[in-house]
Amino acid sequence: MKRKLIGAIGVAGMMIGVAACGGSGGSDGKASGGDAGNTITVWLMSGSNPPNWTKQITAAYEKKYPGKKVKIAVQPWDGIQQKLTTALSESTPPDVIEVGNTQTPYYAQTGGLKALDSDKAALGASDWLPAMSKSAVFDGKQIAVPWYAASRVVIYNKKIWADAGITATPKTQDELFKDLGKIKAKGTKDAFYLPGQDWYAFDGLLLDAGADLVKKDGDTYKANLDTPQAAQAINLYKKLNSFGTAPKDKDEATPQQSDVFAKGDVGAFLGLGWEGAGALTKNPKLKDQIGYFPMPGKTADKTAAVFLGGSNLAISQGTKNPKGALNFLKLAMSDQFEGALAKEGGVVPNKAALNTNLQGNEFGTVSAAAAANGGTTPLIPEWGSVENAPNPITTLFMTGVLQGQSPSAAAQKADVEMDKRLSQK
Amino acid sequence: MAAQYRGTKTRGPDPAVTPPTAAAALTVAGSAGSGRPARPSGSGRAARFVPYLLLLPTLAATALLLGYPLVRNLLISFQTLEPFQLIQHTTEWNGFGNYTDQLTSSEFWHTAGRSVAFTLVNVVLIMVGGSLIGLLLNRLGKKMRLLLSIGLVFAWAMPYVAATTVYQWLFDTQNGVVNWGLNAVGWHSMHDYNWFSHQLSTFAVITLLVVWGSLPFVALNLFAGLTTVSAEIFEAARMDGAGAWRTFWQVVFPMLKPFFLSTTFLEIIWVFKAFTQVYALNAGGPEGLTETLPVYAYVEGFGNQHFGTGAAISMLTIVILAALMSYYFRVILKEEDEL
Amino acid sequence: MRRSLAGRLWPNIVAVVLFVFFVFPVYWMVTTAFKPDLDIVSSTPVFFPVHATFAHFTKAVHAPGFWTFVRNSFTVTLGAVLLSLIVATLSAFAVARMRFKGRKAFILMIMMAQMAPWEVLTISVYLIVRDSDALNSLLPLTLFYMMMVLPFTVWTLRGFIAAVPKELEEAALVDGCTRFQAFIRVVLPLLAPGLMATSLFGYITAWNEYALVLILNKDSGATLTLWLTEFQTNFGDDWGATMAAASLFTLPVVVVFLIMQRRAGSGMTAGAVKG
Repeated sequence: MKRKLIGAIGVAGMMIGVAACGGSGGSDGKASGGDAGNTITVWLMSGSNPPNWTKQITAAYEKKYPGKKVKIAVQPWDGIQQKLTTALSESTPPDVIEVGNTQTPYYAQTGGLKALDSDKAALGASDWLPAMSKSAVFDGKQIAVPWYAASRVVIYNKKIWADAGITATPKTQDELFKDLGKIKAKGTKDAFYLPGQDWYAFDGLLLDAGADLVKKDGDTYKANLDTPQAAQAINLYKKLNSFGTAPKDKDEATPQQSDVFAKGDVGAFLGLGWEGAGALTKNPKLKDQIGYFPMPGKTADKTAAVFLGGSNLAISQGTKNPKGALNFLKLAMSDQFEGALAKEGGVVPNKAALNTNLQGNEFGTVSAAAAANGGTTPLIPEWGSVENAPNPITTLFMTGVLQGQSPSAAAQKADVEMDKRLSQK
Repeated sequence: MAAQYRGTKTRGPDPAVTPPTAAAALTVAGSAGSGRPARPSGSGRAARFVPYLLLLPTLAATALLLGYPLVRNLLISFQTLEPFQLIQHTTEWNGFGNYTDQLTSSEFWHTAGRSVAFTLVNVVLIMVGGSLIGLLLNRLGKKMRLLLSIGLVFAWAMPYVAATTVYQWLFDTQNGVVNWGLNAVGWHSMHDYNWFSHQLSTFAVITLLVVWGSLPFVALNLFAGLTTVSAEIFEAARMDGAGAWRTFWQVVFPMLKPFFLSTTFLEIIWVFKAFTQVYALNAGGPEGLTETLPVYAYVEGFGNQHFGTGAAISMLTIVILAALMSYYFRVILKEEDEL
Repeated sequence: MRRSLAGRLWPNIVAVVLFVFFVFPVYWMVTTAFKPDLDIVSSTPVFFPVHATFAHFTKAVHAPGFWTFVRNSFTVTLGAVLLSLIVATLSAFAVARMRFKGRKAFILMIMMAQMAPWEVLTISVYLIVRDSDALNSLLPLTLFYMMMVLPFTVWTLRGFIAAVPKELEEAALVDGCTRFQAFIRVVLPLLAPGLMATSLFGYITAWNEYALVLILNKDSGATLTLWLTEFQTNFGDDWGATMAAASLFTLPVVVVFLIMQRRAGSGMTAGAVKG
């Protein structure tokens, strides 16, 4: 009875976590009655679903399956693992869930995700980019489907850069620092906004320095932060952070960096396409002022390596409506909606043939090019434990160094904790 | 409650008349005037069951809503309960594994030591500060007393969660009024200082938050108690040439010993268990260095998703709390013998 | 014997300093909530909001789900308080007025229950509620909050009942009342301040509760405490709106405090315990 009441209150309450992000949307609470047979719940992560895509796929689903409803609830990344683990253990888990590529093996191992092998073909598996579908396979089973990939690029305020007398975007890191220096000298407090705990951004710099967060040691993985490469990467990170007032002990979502950028007094930040779009929604005056360029490398011939973020879609093992969930998945995986997602969100689609959709999306073009030089964390279930809050990479290593510890000292602390988590079964 | 105290106004400062009542532990109101219970006046067999019938709802609620969770928690603490077991709804016993892991981990002992130290510091500050403010209230004129009481009631009424948010804002790095004030009075290194980046400064803020919120309870209750000590007694003490210090220890303290005893123990429980202030303020950061036992249990259990480990930590927390409270239990038991 | 001027002055000075110490955070919360953004982030704090604005309150009130959380908070709080008053009055009467075997054990149990560390029982409470399929519902929250305040309520009411002269009750019995009638007609009216005082405690505890709701309820089942702690995640560094939210959350407690204080009279300090 209570459940019905809550169902009736609808999606409005579910959206609380995303009030600030551009990707909010979803059905409007008419999905009352809470009838599990007719309504499927889809959990998407903050920033993944652009507004028009959300509207259209909801409408398309409800049109294609008359009488059926879809409820899209957007979840913040912060604390998601705890929320998802408990939700998967409950009697009515969300039917379709978006899982980050690095976290997928963790959930696969818990048995909370439904195997999709028999429906693989219908979902278009033959054309998936191997690099993306890798993370959706666990123990030889297809436990999720690759949805999209994205890499961070520098999002900048053209006006501020022009006011500082900069005419071209930087091609090397030295040029970047020189430009940021000029902007700062012009009185912009936040020439570059980089909060201390954006570990995806750090991982890109680390990959660029030629190292990884972990190294393989026989059959197991060991933490690998106490290296000259990691020190080089975090020093670079620290330098970027020093060009602004971003907090050293917060991540990019507290506050949403796109909201900070939207105020119009931030020179640049490292972000994803939806963050640029979100800033524009928040402050329409920024129209034609937002530009994108890839994080430059050390030399002009190559852009910096990036962390290849991405998301998979999965069906929960405990779903009460496997058919409805599969139907939604098929719709989302269709060329129409996969293409629309790429077009609107500027993310790399799961099939090479759909890349044409990125044309005209400035972020998408820059990001897809940068993604060519992308890497990710090891796709092992233990990795999920590392990302559990409090994440040692951010709280022990990054914030530690940014607040004055030596990279080596902070790395040793973080490595101990990471090793502890990596060795847990 | 003040009314009950006032009822004893004619009584001299004779500690023998007011034995330390554990009754005062929960409220001073309960302590005074509780007469001997009468024998059931209804006759017959049925009447004998009446008290048990009246107790039944309380007993049932306690068994179901407190007893069962405790037992369940104990059981979980002997299990391996990770996301896999949680999602698959399987039970995997691992004996004392969770306990030996914790008892041999330096992290647990550090956290336990930190928790005890945190509790002691806070309780001392609260009791000493609260007593001084209570004595001050007793000494103030009517208008000033009202003013201070209003201040106390505001701090008292402020819900923890709201207070925590407000303190985050007061101590904000860039626009916090505290940093501005410290900078303004000449401590320039505090300009843009991040209070939540160091263990001690974070604890300083947490302590201030806890003490600020707890002082009013002690101060106002002590003041209510002091109103029962008649002015003549203070006068007499002064005539005897007793200073403020001696007056307090020889007159006030013995008379209000039950109050001091019970309030101290209440504060120990409250501070030791404090979760909201510590967790909502900085989630036990930086680097987990401000995790107290309840926060540690939560972070390990829910944050890191080692639910069995979290349960074991919480059982150990209960044991440590019980040890801290053992003196109190002794007092109660002694007291209850006289009931 | 007159005190020196300094001797008379310093307590007043200390009192004023303390008053500022206790009131300032509350004052700062309320003024920040009324200040326009520019005044909030100005490099010299604006101590008096000359350009008061309601924009932050509007934003807070229009936050998604706000009214749902308000309703949830009131439902669980009032439910818990009422339930605990009913349950506690019964046993408090038994303990205060009757003699029976096991009375001492019961009192001991109540005292131990008062110390229950709810904050660390979250895992088992979560599993119990999950397994009874009642997550995100207000009922388990209400019941657990009721249990949190029950021991205190029993204990306090026992004191208040014992303070009612039993001769009054006996007189009523002589007049032909049953025990129950005597309780309703004689004891209960005299208990009003006690009930007020105890319910104030329950009200504050339930209104404030964070650890349990954090794990049991989310989204539309959340209460205001959860909403407030997540406000920063949701609204970023908008301190004006956050402080408006905190003010709104505090308001009902202050109101109840003021009402109860008057009604409960001397019982105020007894009841107004934060747990």
